[in-house]
Amino acid sequence: MTEKVQKVIPDEYIPEVRSRVVTIDNKDYLLQNDAMFTFYERSMGEFSPFFLAIKDEKKILGCKCPKCGIVRVPPMVTHCPDCNFTPTELVEVEQVGKMNTTPPITYFATSMFLDKAPFGRGRVILNGADTALSVMLYTTTGILVPGLIKKGTEVKVIFGDERIGQITDIYCVPASELTPEQLAKKGLQESELNWEAPKEPEFPEASDEDMAVYKQSLKEMQALAAEMSRSKRARKAIEGWKRDIAVKTKGGEFAMYIDDGDFKIEEKKLKSPDFVMACEDPRTLLDGLMYNGAITDSVIMKRLWISKNLEFNTIFKLDRLARFLAREKKEQAVK
Amino acid sequence: MARKVGIVGAGVTPFRGKWYEKTYYELAQMATREAVRDAAISIKNVDATFYGIYNDIFERAAIPEHPLQGIIGMQNKFGIRISCGGATGAYTLSAAHAYLAGERFKTALVLGVEKATDCFDFLSMSATPEVIKSIGWSGDSFFEQKIGWSASDSYAEIVLGYMDEYPGTLKPEVTAQISSQLSKQVRTNPYAQRQFDQVTPEEVMNSRYIVYPFKELEICVYTEGAAALILAEEETAKAIAKNSGKPIVWITGVGEANEHSFAGKNQKNMSHIVSDYLGSHHAYEMAGIKDPVKAIDIVELHDAFVHQLEISLAEFGLVPYEKVDSLIEEGIMLPGGRLLVNPCGGLIYCGHAVGASNIMSAWSARNELINRNLKTALVHGTGSTISQYTACAIFEHE
Repeated sequence: MTEKVQKVIPDEYIPEVRSRVVTIDNKDYLLQNDAMFTFYERSMGEFSPFFLAIKDEKKILGCKCPKCGIVRVPPMVTHCPDCNFTPTELVEVEQVGKMNTTPPITYFATSMFLDKAPFGRGRVILNGADTALSVMLYTTTGILVPGLIKKGTEVKVIFGDERIGQITDIYCVPASELTPEQLAKKGLQESELNWEAPKEPEFPEASDEDMAVYKQSLKEMQALAAEMSRSKRARKAIEGWKRDIAVKTKGGEFAMYIDDGDFKIEEKKLKSPDFVMACEDPRTLLDGLMYNGAITDSVIMKRLWISKNLEFNTIFKLDRLARFLAREKKEQAVK
Repeated sequence: MARKVGIVGAGVTPFRGKWYEKTYYELAQMATREAVRDAAISIKNVDATFYGIYNDIFERAAIPEHPLQGIIGMQNKFGIRISCGGATGAYTLSAAHAYLAGERFKTALVLGVEKATDCFDFLSMSATPEVIKSIGWSGDSFFEQKIGWSASDSYAEIVLGYMDEYPGTLKPEVTAQISSQLSKQVRTNPYAQRQFDQVTPEEVMNSRYIVYPFKELEICVYTEGAAALILAEEETAKAIAKNSGKPIVWITGVGEANEHSFAGKNQKNMSHIVSDYLGSHHAYEMAGIKDPVKAIDIVELHDAFVHQLEISLAEFGLVPYEKVDSLIEEGIMLPGGRLLVNPCGGLIYCGHAVGASNIMSAWSARNELINRNLKTALVHGTGSTISQYTACAIFEHE
């Protein structure tokens, strides 16, 4: 069996050596593709026992000050700064704890985390510890929505199946989603959890009214798409982007084409789309394109289903398209 | 006894989402030219430079200020760079103040510049994911960077912590109205990135989540630009002001504090911005301000996020913690209210060119004090993970 080799910078992030020119007020300006990169063979130094315990023993370590008794997780200090630098000692803490505060949820992630969004990151005080460990938070039930994990929610540390001694080897899920056996088990692994797989929703048969709503919404979306393709500012939102999207609704199916500034909607079933969107009521999407409620929020609130989480990126661009058109109209009105 | 220090000149470049036409070298010089022209002095009369540049990665150089020394005409003189995350500009002002008050120099240039959106993500074909990735290198590198730490999610932690402690505050209707109000105020700022982007509270409420609980129209935008101030000690300031005909705005107080960067017992309290409390109150003490509610006319604060703007104003003692929404509900920051908050549109509408942002805020506070003939302003910068750093300054117009 060949081992999967991961690069510290995945190839897809790396642009080609190239330049291009933008023209502003009849003057040319040169843009060069570039990067600033440095590789490290970085020592984990005094944190080595913490990361090795995660990797090899599926344990979480902290450091305890024998004078004030504070247990810090992660073990940030070898000597306690609150007790005149008294030497601390490593101790093991439990793998269940409570959220220190309500954690935020990232929907629009940095370029390195686009494939992981949406995710929560928060701070858990593990039983036996006094300070909070920063962790990524997931739910086994699909997309993480506000209110699922709050201050005081009990969570459990989950260990990745393949661990390399990094903080990404662990994350937390709500304890309420686990069986009592799973909750009690030390070193519970990812593969032992029951993850709900995303399933394309099925819609009931459309009534005449549904069909009428579909036809009308489609017409309005097509008109909007044409307007967006004509708008200089809106075109910027989908500059350099290309996607063929199959959109399924109760009343019918259509295709959305994004192609480097052009945006087109046609009544057509795509054979091999880049991804699928499904929403029972096409007005969900129409409202989003009309800048009347974000499409992103429709995905978060499960009114709109997407077949690939990574395509949140395209959803952001559609929201941006709507906002840029609205902004252009408004600015024209102001001027 | 320390010398009195005043602002005798200021200038900014237009704040833009992208400056294709200029590098940060030229942006820095543009702001410097404006500031010395405003003070009616020559750059030859300036003794020292204090550079506010946040992030080496934005400028794509490890000592980004070194080429500026000659470009702005300050060769063979003192130059020091300050880098304190989002609070860079305010800390740069504080450092320059200390050197002048300590009589090391008579005049100083405070120069902030940032070129954020040269960063570009070739996967999504847009700048923003790469800009926030670059800022992401500012998080703790052993435990947090690799699990998606970002400026937004780390500030959201504090905001949610505040809402845990003060339930029912930071209501979405109120944060939406604040954003809308700031968008009206930016209308008169010709240097702003979003001068014509006036939004209604409904549009704010309808905008998409970026990081829960922040919506797109409640957060600052990334900006390229520069801002500069000319500071002088008392006698020199008076001489410059006599020549330029412009009133001096005195810096009567400065205060700073950096909190712990991790949460828990004896570490950071995640429900407050203690650095904002300490920084502002140290500045009040130095300025002799006993009751900030009575004393402060203008606040130019670092509004990275609307929710944080509300919390910061509470930490400054300008509105009660449990009643932060009175900023809108009792009209405190609405037209005719007792407090003028971010008349320039703040970082959300004027723009956030990180190292230059707080210096732009200082430029605005000075202009507003003079133009509206008001007495006292508070200028603020916050930054680093979980709003760890704060620097504040009190400006007084005689």
